[in-house]
Amino acid sequence: MTRARRIVVWAVLLGIAVVLSGCERQGTPQANPNKASSAVLVESPKEYDGTTVTFTGEAIGEAMVRDDKAWIHLNDDAYYLKNVEEGAHLGGYNSGMAVWIDASLAKRIQFFGDYKHEGDVVKISGTFNAACAEHGGDMDIHATSLEIVKPGRDAQDPVRSWKLLWALALALVAAVLYVLNRNWGKWGPDVQQGS
Amino acid sequence: MILRPRKEDHLVIGRYTGKVIIGVGLLMVIPLITSIVFQEWDTVVDFVISISACFIFGFGTQLVCRTERDLNWSHGLVVASGSWIVATILGALPHWLSGHEGTYLDAMFDLMSGYTTTGLYLLQDLDHISYGLNMWRHLLTYAGGQGIVVIALTFLFKGTAGAYKVYVGEGKDERLLPNVVQTARAIWLVSLTWLVVGTIALFATGLALGQEPVRAFLHGLWVFMGAWSTGGFAPQSYNTFWFHSLTYETICIVIMIAGSLNFALHWAVWTGKRKEIVKNVETISFAITLSLTTMIATFWLAKSGVYPDAMSLFRKVFYQLASGHTTTGFSTIYSRAFVTQWGPIGLIATTIAMAIGASAASTAGGIKGIRMGVMFKALMQDVRTAISPESAVVRSKYHHIRDVALDDGIVRTAMTITIAYIGLYALNAVVGTLYGYDFVQAAFEGVSAASNTGLSCGVTSPTMPALMKLLYIAAMWMGRLEFMSVFALIGYAVAIVRGRK
Repeated sequence: MTRARRIVVWAVLLGIAVVLSGCERQGTPQANPNKASSAVLVESPKEYDGTTVTFTGEAIGEAMVRDDKAWIHLNDDAYYLKNVEEGAHLGGYNSGMAVWIDASLAKRIQFFGDYKHEGDVVKISGTFNAACAEHGGDMDIHATSLEIVKPGRDAQDPVRSWKLLWALALALVAAVLYVLNRNWGKWGPDVQQGS
Repeated sequence: MILRPRKEDHLVIGRYTGKVIIGVGLLMVIPLITSIVFQEWDTVVDFVISISACFIFGFGTQLVCRTERDLNWSHGLVVASGSWIVATILGALPHWLSGHEGTYLDAMFDLMSGYTTTGLYLLQDLDHISYGLNMWRHLLTYAGGQGIVVIALTFLFKGTAGAYKVYVGEGKDERLLPNVVQTARAIWLVSLTWLVVGTIALFATGLALGQEPVRAFLHGLWVFMGAWSTGGFAPQSYNTFWFHSLTYETICIVIMIAGSLNFALHWAVWTGKRKEIVKNVETISFAITLSLTTMIATFWLAKSGVYPDAMSLFRKVFYQLASGHTTTGFSTIYSRAFVTQWGPIGLIATTIAMAIGASAASTAGGIKGIRMGVMFKALMQDVRTAISPESAVVRSKYHHIRDVALDDGIVRTAMTITIAYIGLYALNAVVGTLYGYDFVQAAFEGVSAASNTGLSCGVTSPTMPALMKLLYIAAMWMGRLEFMSVFALIGYAVAIVRGRK
């Protein structure tokens, strides 16, 4: 290998290493609100099976109403108070519990967490089932009470100006290359013929 | 003697790789439109940046690599495997720009997982990502399932003879119709028909389960894409556990199994040969090994009394095992429940199912049913030869679309690829164990990555060592392309450095 080629190879490898390792987002994630968190319940299902637990978390997605009952999902992870778009530090995967509750209680929840919303933080109390007989072996909590701890809200994700500038610049370069490529036959040298 | 590739080789590889990347850029238009519809403006900008980057690479290579030369076999293999790497690097931009990935390596992990229809992911706070990004996650796994190259073949290659060589390089060697572009379009015809029917079924079920119409539709579409491509991505972190519905799970199982069947089998059924389903060696092999692994896990979990009744037990076991065996990766239990509830035998049964995988020339991964069938037939042939008179000539055949005589070449090829898979599974398991994970869990996760399944028992996480992330990326890539294309790319790289002029 020539010296120049070796330098290029090392420069590329160094660049990749910097990009891959140097972009880690730092910060301290949000603390968990529960004594028996979802992670603890999943790790020790036998210990808590059939016991009454109190569980606090952000209502996520939607309430799926089935007759007079409903399924809701409460996340007690690093994002239950603030999502990533609003600046929450990355703190691992989402984590939470499925909750089976009276539809009338579920309807008290106004905001469910998604990209545009931070969901209501609610506290429920009920029986934890490691493998629920009523629901095909699902791990769930059958809740009997629900309290809104912190109301949800619209989440903000404004367009960053540096991103907008990059988008415009790159789109312009792509457009120029497209035009050049389309018209190369008129402007450029002959195409290399293959063997 | 290895010959150093000439300039024309680089030009033809660059040109075709560029075309595939233009295809990736065009694919991103769908999530871009999704974000515009839902007014997710920051995500819109992310996709404009990403599409532009793909087009700059694609049109740039078309300008620089101007040649009329067609592909030969080694070019095809290099383009197939090389395209996947470039598509992974550039396709990871929307993930990275979203702010939901810890490092760019994590974003690339998710992309490779998507393209290879694996389903493992490192993206954090999935439950708060935009519709646009969720559309991209599922679209790339749907596109990856059909083969990125198949997409490019359909829309960009315009019937070049060399296109078949890229098609084979992507791990699909079934030629349903005489022309490879017609074959690619036939694959699309089958896939899109299933897309419409499957999405409608899941959408209607979602509505009945209490989802609002927009979410029911999008979830239906995305879950279909995850199931059909045997990818395993789902829109919520709870995966398909989110729906708490036997009906939804049953539809998912039907789509997962359909997606894991050989496209040649689909085409045979499509053209009226319905008996092929019960005669094909792959479906027979799949049915036997799925039944066996399900029985093992059921017996163990019944003994340990995890589930309260027989119906719950069967529902949980069959869903996870069907998902594992089709290499989909959907689950209706928490990842850690594989460890805390299923225990070592449950983990091992699922690991075996994932390792075997489903059908060749489908969206599924793993060793594949046809190889299991061929090796079993070869074993039985040897046994029959041993107990027959010396003068007897023992012959075997198997049925795959037509009757095929079993010869040493077929058996050798099946054994070679099987050994390569087992070696890759073992490497992943050993590296995981050396990093301090329990061996059974490391084996489960390592097999899940290399067989492109995506079930997790908790080993895969954003905090796992970078070397394991890199190893899993490589394993997903090699497992999906079935090694040969990857070896060709490595050979090409070696030839550039060491080859003679």
